[in-house]
Amino acid sequence: MKSFYLKRIVSMLITIILITTLTFTMMHSIPGGPFTRERPVPPEIMRALNAKYNLDDPLPIQYLNYMKGLVTFDLGPSYSKIGTSVNDLIISGFPASAKIGLIASALIVVLGIPLGVISALKQNSPLDYFVMFLATIGITVPSFVIATVIIYFFAGKLGWIPSFGLNTPASYIGPVVALAGYSLSFVTRLTRSSMLEVLRQDYIVTARANGIKEFTVIMKHAVRNALIPVVTYIGPMIAAILTGSFVIEKIFAIPGIGRHFVESVSNRDYTTIMGITVFYAVFYLIMIFLVDVAYALIDPRIKLKGDK
Amino acid sequence: MSKDKFVFIEQTGEDNEAIRPSLTYWQDAWRRLKKNKLSMMGIAVVILIILFGTIGPSFTEFSYSDQINEYKNLPPILDMYELDGRYFHVSNDYNVFLVAEDGTIMERLNLDPLKRDMINKIYTYELGEEEVILDFSYNLLPNKMGYDYDYTLELDGEVAKYAALTKLNKLNPFGTDSLGRDLLTRVMYGARISLLVAFVATMVNLFIGVVYGSIAGYEGGRVDNIMMRIVDIINSIPLVLYVILLMVWFRGGGLTNIIIALSSVYWVSMARLVRGQMLSLKEQEFVLAAEVMGVSKSKIIFRHLIPNAMGPIIVSIAMMIPSAVFTESFLSFIGLGVSAPMASWGTLANNALSGLTTYPYQLFFPALAIAFTMLAFNFIGDGLRDALDPRLRKG
Repeated sequence: MKSFYLKRIVSMLITIILITTLTFTMMHSIPGGPFTRERPVPPEIMRALNAKYNLDDPLPIQYLNYMKGLVTFDLGPSYSKIGTSVNDLIISGFPASAKIGLIASALIVVLGIPLGVISALKQNSPLDYFVMFLATIGITVPSFVIATVIIYFFAGKLGWIPSFGLNTPASYIGPVVALAGYSLSFVTRLTRSSMLEVLRQDYIVTARANGIKEFTVIMKHAVRNALIPVVTYIGPMIAAILTGSFVIEKIFAIPGIGRHFVESVSNRDYTTIMGITVFYAVFYLIMIFLVDVAYALIDPRIKLKGDK
Repeated sequence: MSKDKFVFIEQTGEDNEAIRPSLTYWQDAWRRLKKNKLSMMGIAVVILIILFGTIGPSFTEFSYSDQINEYKNLPPILDMYELDGRYFHVSNDYNVFLVAEDGTIMERLNLDPLKRDMINKIYTYELGEEEVILDFSYNLLPNKMGYDYDYTLELDGEVAKYAALTKLNKLNPFGTDSLGRDLLTRVMYGARISLLVAFVATMVNLFIGVVYGSIAGYEGGRVDNIMMRIVDIINSIPLVLYVILLMVWFRGGGLTNIIIALSSVYWVSMARLVRGQMLSLKEQEFVLAAEVMGVSKSKIIFRHLIPNAMGPIIVSIAMMIPSAVFTESFLSFIGLGVSAPMASWGTLANNALSGLTTYPYQLFFPALAIAFTMLAFNFIGDGLRDALDPRLRKG
């Protein structure tokens, strides 16, 4: 068991190093520096800027410095927002992203799994068709369309919820629904199909034949086994949702990390792009690792594999 | 034994009729797919969208970049006011148009800047020698609240308060955007770009993924281990993030760049799938037979293994195309898409955002196009999965 975790941690570290190296190389191989503007900057100013941000060092030195900063959790200064560091941006943005992300993830788990189970149990009933219809829409309509429709109808025409910011409880509704839409539908569909698969298994028939109450059969034998593929999907999904969706934050004008990222992309603010990418990737990897740990605890088959 | 002890059985056609014609794997799959109504609908929709994008633009009078500044922000449905037997449309940005009865826009009335009374909210337009007076002060000025109409049009003392007719916009069936470009044409060109990106990226993914996965799966051992660790590493990076990074690296938009960015990242799932297939296929006797006969490795992979793994691969492609459409529109939406005046569905949706409350139709059509495409490909994918791999059939 221990060697399993150790292996995972080592491969995680290697992945992080590779990601940062790749990101660093990509950002530094872009022709022109981060201060190249349409109007040429006077050479003296360019030199001063380069000296200030240590951009005139040879590339390997810059790389080592960046990695050194990374170990001490310092992602460097932002190039376009003078006086703020990438750390500041992430610290200021993460709470908002995480709050919406947490609510959306909770919604997905609390709503998606029961809906999937119910529609599998009532297969081919009107309820099943209705849920699957909604789930199909949720999968096919892009989140930015859902978000704009919410803004147009519920914020604009009906005025029930504010159209931007996160100042009142009602203002969470829009971003959370738009953020959860796709994953909620996906989880519902996944739970349903996996539940249908499990319900056909012999051990369910055996359990019923043994006279176990239907409720116990469903909850203890069917749902538990049906959830295994769902858990696999939910892990990385929570990581992706928690770190914020760029588009949702842009549309609802939420000061989260996603918005900083989109802004940094359009400003060509390379340190911020790099910093947020690394932050995302590390967060994502840690979440996947945690899910793997939880997963190994839930599913005995995986535990065995790890021991070998 | 003498010959006369044997009697020829008279051959009848009946025996043969009872036997069904033998079907190949693909014929069988096609037969099953044809039974799936949703999939057939999906295929029909995809064909329609492809036609819409390829030959559609030759039926419109506009090109995707034609800007007619006079006709900007025109809705697809015109509310027409009748005055003196002629019809007028007032757009949301207070331009008055002369419209023919069938919904064709004839001209925009000229507004003399001097006759623009901003305080009382009354504009006077010129129609030849006559004057059309638009009073849009209702429900805007504090002393004119509580009316059930928002503006009145006046011509020669005749006043129209309510729209007399509602007609579809003949000239621009989808309306026009903020630069006066025809949205129908732009959505058609958007279909071209979105589908082109999706198909090319998927084909490249298919090629890389299948070759990579089958080499890893067939070789096994150390080669497989190293190749799959690389896939694991790529897979543990949030893919959208890397596509965005690549796009920044390519310095923004451009059709080729999007395709390169999409196809350099998304092949990993295909590689995993193919490798899994290879692992089980290579244990089968026909591979052993080929090996014994001295068939080269590459021939075994391309002639024997890949054709046998085609089913799951095709299902995976059908699912990959909508996700590529999705990612492309997402990239365009955050401003990394194709450069203006070209437009994909994502760019169109993004452009519509700023004027959403006033001109919602500008978002409606591209969004609808994306949703329809995704829906169609999803249905096709579901149907293909059921048809090609009956074991996976749901429900």
